Amino acid sequence: MAPAQTGAGIGIANLPNQRHKIVAKRGGNFTLMVCGESGLGKTTFINTLFTTTIKTPKSYKRRFNKSAEKTVEIEIIRAELEEKQFNIKLSVVDTPGFGDYTNNRDSWLPIIDFIDDQHESYMRQEHQPRRQDLSDMRVHCCLYFIRPTGHTLKPLDIEVMKRLGTRVNLIPVIAKADTMTPTDLHKFKKRILEVIAAQNIQCYTFPLESDDEASTKRNMSIMAAMPFSIIGSTDDVMTNDGRTVKGRQYSWGVAEVENEDHCDFKKLRQLLIRTHMLDLISSTEETHYEVYRHAQMETRKIGEPKVKTVTNPKWKEEEESLRKRFTEQVRLEENRFRSWEQQLIAERDRLNKDLEAEHSHIKALEAELEAMTAGLSSKRK
Amino acid sequence: MAHRIGRRKNVKKGFQFTLMVVGASGLGRTTFINTLCDADVVPKRESDEPDMAHVEEGIKIKPYTVELDEDGVKISLTVVDTPGFGDMIDNEYCFQEILGYLERQYDDILSEESRIKRNPRFRDNRVHALLYFITPTGHSLREIDIELMKRLSPRINVIPVIGKADTFTPFELAEFKKRVMEDIEHHNIPIYNFPFDPEEDDEETVEENSELRSLLPFAMIGCEEEIMVNGRKVRGRQYPWGIVEVDNTQHCDFAKLRFALLSSHLQDLKEITHDYLYENYRTEKLSRSAENLSD
Repeated sequence: MAPAQTGAGIGIANLPNQRHKIVAKRGGNFTLMVCGESGLGKTTFINTLFTTTIKTPKSYKRRFNKSAEKTVEIEIIRAELEEKQFNIKLSVVDTPGFGDYTNNRDSWLPIIDFIDDQHESYMRQEHQPRRQDLSDMRVHCCLYFIRPTGHTLKPLDIEVMKRLGTRVNLIPVIAKADTMTPTDLHKFKKRILEVIAAQNIQCYTFPLESDDEASTKRNMSIMAAMPFSIIGSTDDVMTNDGRTVKGRQYSWGVAEVENEDHCDFKKLRQLLIRTHMLDLISSTEETHYEVYRHAQMETRKIGEPKVKTVTNPKWKEEEESLRKRFTEQVRLEENRFRSWEQQLIAERDRLNKDLEAEHSHIKALEAELEAMTAGLSSKRK
Repeated sequence: MAHRIGRRKNVKKGFQFTLMVVGASGLGRTTFINTLCDADVVPKRESDEPDMAHVEEGIKIKPYTVELDEDGVKISLTVVDTPGFGDMIDNEYCFQEILGYLERQYDDILSEESRIKRNPRFRDNRVHALLYFITPTGHSLREIDIELMKRLSPRINVIPVIGKADTFTPFELAEFKKRVMEDIEHHNIPIYNFPFDPEEDDEETVEENSELRSLLPFAMIGCEEEIMVNGRKVRGRQYPWGIVEVDNTQHCDFAKLRFALLSSHLQDLKEITHDYLYENYRTEKLSRSAENLSD
């Protein structure tokens, strides 16, 4: 049935405006996760992105009181932002301790569990009789901070990104991009994209085609810039040509945050806030949540609590690693004994050779002596 | 200049110096070696296969030898590179590998010393100094940094340096250096800190050593390419917002460290390795084998 055009207009076209009013009144809810080793500028980035101190920088005074536990924590910072009378409840999830230890095996488990738990919690709440005030902490977007080595992704990065990509909108970001020259940055981005493709890591994508050409072009330039290189700074500095900008002042110049030639911060901000925040939220709710729900419902009945299978694989893994360590130790000891034995044999041979050399030298001297005494006695005769 | 007394005699023969460089990949270790020797000593890392990027390769120990000429003094410099350090998910094994290498060199000397007839052309492969590249996080030392320096300092002179120091603004660099030294002191890590005796040594030595000590950990920037700056050719990195010069002491401490390693403190590092570190190892090892025999 073809849609019939109403005559002068009865007001159906006003529906989006009504929607706008409702949404504007209700406000928004956005959960952003930042993941990466410490010292990559995560806190600074968040504060730069929202132009306010969401998270206070680390305090160094208590670093010597740290407990010996080597864990990855989940830290949630909540903030309410307001712009032109539109409110948004922002939650930032940080993962301190990730990637910071000598042994980082399984350090991604707390992060993955957190994401899954949010889906789980929302699912359970949906099944409650009263569904009015749902607390929704599902992560809408995860920014993974890559260390600017200039080489490639590390095995740890790959392991985590693989697991994150299937659960949440993953956006890889090159941290502290002012460490790299433009050529190095270009090569690094290319290599990262190659690894992401080869390792089947799912990153966030969005539909490029849009109604107007300007948006399509903008979308394409944003996608082409992935992974985004960023510089974070909340300080105002003066450039050589007298402008005051947010940037970092080095002895050799000023790296500007909002300069598109210096980094991709503007593009990322565009993506996260201005143009695609809604897409991030809806794709989390529609795609990722549905995937989780589907996987859970295949094995569970409605209302049944989730079976915690996490501990068992960990035990098996620990057992496996203990066994491996044991055989490794035995092998090392055997090698040590073998090389010790070889060393002793080699030394014995060396000392024997020296002795022989000395012996032959002595023999030669003796022969000389004999010859001399023989010569003397023959002279005397 | 007490440490230069032996120099005149050896100038003709030249010196031998072995330096080990340790640090996570991507901190400018290889570039530093090439910048130090002013030549392509270590080949550029081949681009790895993208579908093999998840494979954890262990740490490798690779020595390279170059002949340098420092103001007419010949130096046979051996640089030991350690690619793969800190790149795996579990890095516990790395420490043992490096320590094993260092101790093997000591073992070789020990067995050579015990021979009746020693080989006059025996090559002394003991490592005289270790440059440890700290990741420029901007916070403080990480667990792996502390562990490595603690475990290796009984066997070798450890000199901490900050890799890719052009990540920091001058203020951030000063703060980071301060915190790193605080951490080193808190954990009692015996690094090589250009020792001097205020009573015994002359004023020049005291001044030289305290200046070097105040620069610890040295801020490193490495670059092999040359670019034009105001008509001069310099070694530097070109950013859209400026040019960082490797040999400019305002930008980084490379020039000062190079001079300390290859000229002023070369002899001191070798002496400490031989008279103190090697002797300790020897004592420990011989008393251990004596214990084993008596058991």
